[in-house]
Amino acid sequence: MSTSTEHVMHHDAPEVVGRRERLGVRLIIVADGAFIFAMIFSYFYLRNLNVNNGWLPADGHTFTVSSGWLLALPFIIAAISHNFGQKRRESMGVLSIVTFVVLAIGLVMQWSQLSNMPFMLAEEGGFEGAYASMAFFLGGANLLHYVLGTFVALGIAIRTKRGSSTGTHETWRLRTAGSWFTWLAISAVACAITTSFAAV
Amino acid sequence: MTTLDHAKVSESRPNPPKSLITKLNMGTGMIVGIVFAEVMYFWGKSMWDRQEAVMENRILTLSMFAWCIGFLIGIGAFIGPFRWLIGKDLTDEEQLFLAGKGQGVSRYFRYCTDHKVVGIQYLVGVMVMLGAGGTMAMMIRTNLITPGSKWVNAEIYNSLVGLHGITMIVALIIVSTGPFGNFILPIMIGARDMAFPRLNALSWWLLFTAIPVLCSAWFFGGIPTGWTAYAPLSVQAGGGMNAFIVTIIIFAISSAIAGANITTTVVTMRAKGMKWNRVPIFVIGATISVAMAIPAFPSFMASQMMAAFDRTIGTHFYDAEFGGSGWLYAHLFWIMGHPEVYVILIPGVAILMEIAPVFARSPLFSYTTAVVGLAGIVGLSFLVWAHHMYISGWLPSLNGPFMVTTEMISIPTGLLFLVLLGTIWRGRPWMKLPMLGVYALLWNFLIGGITGIYLSDVPADDYLHGSMFVTAHFHYTLMGAALTGAIAGLAYWFPKMTGRMLDERSGYISFWLVQIGFQVLFLGMFAAGSQGQPRRVADYEQAFATSDLISTIGAYLVGIGMIVLLYSVVHSWRKGKIAPMNPWGAKTLEWTVPYPIYLENFHEAPVVTSDPYGYGRSEK
Amino acid sequence: MSDQHEVVDLPPTPGERLRNAMKARDVRITMIFGVVITAFFVFIGLWFYPKFMPEIMSESMKRGKDVIVYFTVISAPIAGLVIAIALYTLFDRHHGDTPPEEAASFRTHTPIVFVWTLVSAIFCIVAIVWGLTEMNVNSEDATANAKTALVVEVTGSQWVWTFNYPELGVQSEQLNLPVDRPVEFRVHSVDVNHSFWPVQLGVKVDANDRVTTLAHTTPNVLGTIDIKCAELCGLYHAYMETQGKVMKEADFNSWVTAQGGHVA
Repeated sequence: MSTSTEHVMHHDAPEVVGRRERLGVRLIIVADGAFIFAMIFSYFYLRNLNVNNGWLPADGHTFTVSSGWLLALPFIIAAISHNFGQKRRESMGVLSIVTFVVLAIGLVMQWSQLSNMPFMLAEEGGFEGAYASMAFFLGGANLLHYVLGTFVALGIAIRTKRGSSTGTHETWRLRTAGSWFTWLAISAVACAITTSFAAV
Repeated sequence: MTTLDHAKVSESRPNPPKSLITKLNMGTGMIVGIVFAEVMYFWGKSMWDRQEAVMENRILTLSMFAWCIGFLIGIGAFIGPFRWLIGKDLTDEEQLFLAGKGQGVSRYFRYCTDHKVVGIQYLVGVMVMLGAGGTMAMMIRTNLITPGSKWVNAEIYNSLVGLHGITMIVALIIVSTGPFGNFILPIMIGARDMAFPRLNALSWWLLFTAIPVLCSAWFFGGIPTGWTAYAPLSVQAGGGMNAFIVTIIIFAISSAIAGANITTTVVTMRAKGMKWNRVPIFVIGATISVAMAIPAFPSFMASQMMAAFDRTIGTHFYDAEFGGSGWLYAHLFWIMGHPEVYVILIPGVAILMEIAPVFARSPLFSYTTAVVGLAGIVGLSFLVWAHHMYISGWLPSLNGPFMVTTEMISIPTGLLFLVLLGTIWRGRPWMKLPMLGVYALLWNFLIGGITGIYLSDVPADDYLHGSMFVTAHFHYTLMGAALTGAIAGLAYWFPKMTGRMLDERSGYISFWLVQIGFQVLFLGMFAAGSQGQPRRVADYEQAFATSDLISTIGAYLVGIGMIVLLYSVVHSWRKGKIAPMNPWGAKTLEWTVPYPIYLENFHEAPVVTSDPYGYGRSEK
Repeated sequence: MSDQHEVVDLPPTPGERLRNAMKARDVRITMIFGVVITAFFVFIGLWFYPKFMPEIMSESMKRGKDVIVYFTVISAPIAGLVIAIALYTLFDRHHGDTPPEEAASFRTHTPIVFVWTLVSAIFCIVAIVWGLTEMNVNSEDATANAKTALVVEVTGSQWVWTFNYPELGVQSEQLNLPVDRPVEFRVHSVDVNHSFWPVQLGVKVDANDRVTTLAHTTPNVLGTIDIKCAELCGLYHAYMETQGKVMKEADFNSWVTAQGGHVA
């Protein structure tokens, strides 16, 4: 996804370039994974400390558990549909559009979840407590993933439609994008599991 | 398509493609960036007009991000991804244009994908940052020259401490892997470019956008928290803190990109025949260090995002009243922070391990030991973060285990000493500038290492934590070891990067001024810390006066030495002696290419048949 | 080390090789250097360094100082060896613009790597065991004294320390302590992080908002204590300091009474 200078700058075979790009994307996934891990660590750390009983105040509100899982669903569908498509290239035309549409729906859902947070304090305009802060942050990370996922899915859909998505090199790119979509699904599930443990 | 065809193409001036790419450069980037920031600022003002700290922080933070994004749009960073998105990949001519073919000096001001251009950009950027950080260090020491000097007030002093800290930390993280990791490393492994040239340019220009943001902290009240930016102090701090937060987030992205890029390059693009045991040790060190940054820095980024949310929209990650915790910040920070000091240290040591064999004309002693030492440090460094939290009160029962892991780091560190000593032993050292760095490192890193053992020990740390002793300790490792390594690397690779030799006389003068001044400065600071002077204080008592005066004198010596070095670099770059292709008689691949280096580095792909340390008489 | 001195016939035993290596001129000179430098560092650790420590007014402070002093002594031979080798190589320097002649080509030497690793591991284990023992003594003291300890609640706020003696009903901005009586500091903050540091007592603990952290010690010398903040806490961090006194039990009691408290 990241570069295509190989026609000029590198004289390597598409497989070589493809493996290289896959490694690069996987390293970026490691970085993103560390970021998600840091958030999950923070979530449980604050939940266990529960300083001043402020994790979830007595009258505190939470996201519903189901909403977390509902928001992981588009990622899962997208990962399945993309990875299926890149193995059976004849169905990629349809499946790439499915991937894009599902992620775009997820993006809208995530946005609406974050704009209707139940745990905002009316007067001060702040958050109720540490749970509320963490839930917002995890939702924000999910939103970022949706944006990045939608961008990649849109690109793949357009390229498939235009027919620029042919050749060995493109096959490798679709496989690499597959790792990315799989990771997005995994991280969304991890976030959903995390937010399932709301009350102390 | 052979490489020779390309050589011909490169001589004739190519027709630049007639697309938007050719119109964009640093100037357009700045214009778009400033426009974005202004628009964001005034839009924010109209949206949130209440005079509250939260709103101010929100507007400032968003404006700073807007500048960064605007700049990247303006310089054309997103053209590649956008063209990919709409299915029209960049053409060959456009790729060549991006690589800076036939553009002369102007390519240094463009979104240039040539790793050699990026390396020089990093070099200049790092020198600017070191200059700024060093000037602030001089101001700090000037204020501490006598008790109650009040040369600057406490507010400015605290800002100086914070800005000096973060500027130097960022500069030192990239000081070796930026210039040499980008310029030299690909040639060293026989690659034609980095694995992801556009990402390479992105990592530099991202960093570039962070520099004005960091500088702007001065105008919004400084960074009064030290570089550690402990919460909840950072949540309470004024507008300058936003600059810190934005800088760190940008820098974390930049270093993740650079880390993935360099690691991929080394793993997949080594020359034919360069097995893992034939890779130069600097390449191993640089790769290990940037690869370590990939999992380490995101946690810093997360910690700063939380601080940003606390400051701008009223979350409570660090606010104990609503269930937040300052310990959370300390954890996230030090989970990054301890690997990070080795991210700084390892490339510096690796450069000197690369230099020692060349100037002692003796093979690198026990290559395997060197690799094991570096890898051991990396492995352990992820398990030691809480030694910064011995006295924080968080689970004192875990102090024991963290003490064990921390002190175990002395074993792989000792191996690095063994490698250097074994290499110079029974050699005849060629006393050129780079070689002096090896000796300076042995002394400085020895002091830094041993004092580190004191600090890793809980009863001693109970006394020394948070004192000037700690400051002196980490300056011995970061400045005495890592920066010394980087300066030695500059002297060593200067001929390859600029085509000229670094002036020797001024180089020697600078070396001795800096090293002697450094000892005076920080041995004095060890004394002040042992006497009980806390770090980051704008003022102190009469009892510490002598130690602090000595420190300040040392600091001025270092300052003069660094100015001499700057003169030496600038002067040599402009009219130094023209360098031969291989002035040191070294055996790594970068010395096999003539200056100026051909766009794709090698006319014919090199084949490696042995490791680059085949020095010494062949008696056996 | 190189085996250039041996005569071929029989393969030498490790002992012989070691003895031969020791006969080499460079090894001997390096050894002499090493001994001198080691002695220098021992001198620094035992005599010079302690001069920079403030007065030692508790066992915990003494333990901290001992760790530093003895670690210096222990690491002196290592420092001696490293510096001696580096110094020795400097005797035969080469100048000029062409590289010097090639040195001996020796790439590795497994016994030396092995011995070096082993020795540094032993040093490391000594340091770890030492540190853990001292730390244990500290915490055992704390447990043993838990019942009799004088409780002092320390509150850090920007930028003053206040001290509250809940058992005695006294609140003060000055920390007074009776000599030879164990004391438990219960430290917390009302704003940002501070770090409570009674310098001469050799303990230190952070003050966190809404969390209480503990530090234990027993002052055993009469005199003045400097109390500082060791964690950057904002504008006047440098001035967040006060003084305390370790006084005789009787003096302490009369101070408590004068402050309107009741002596337990």
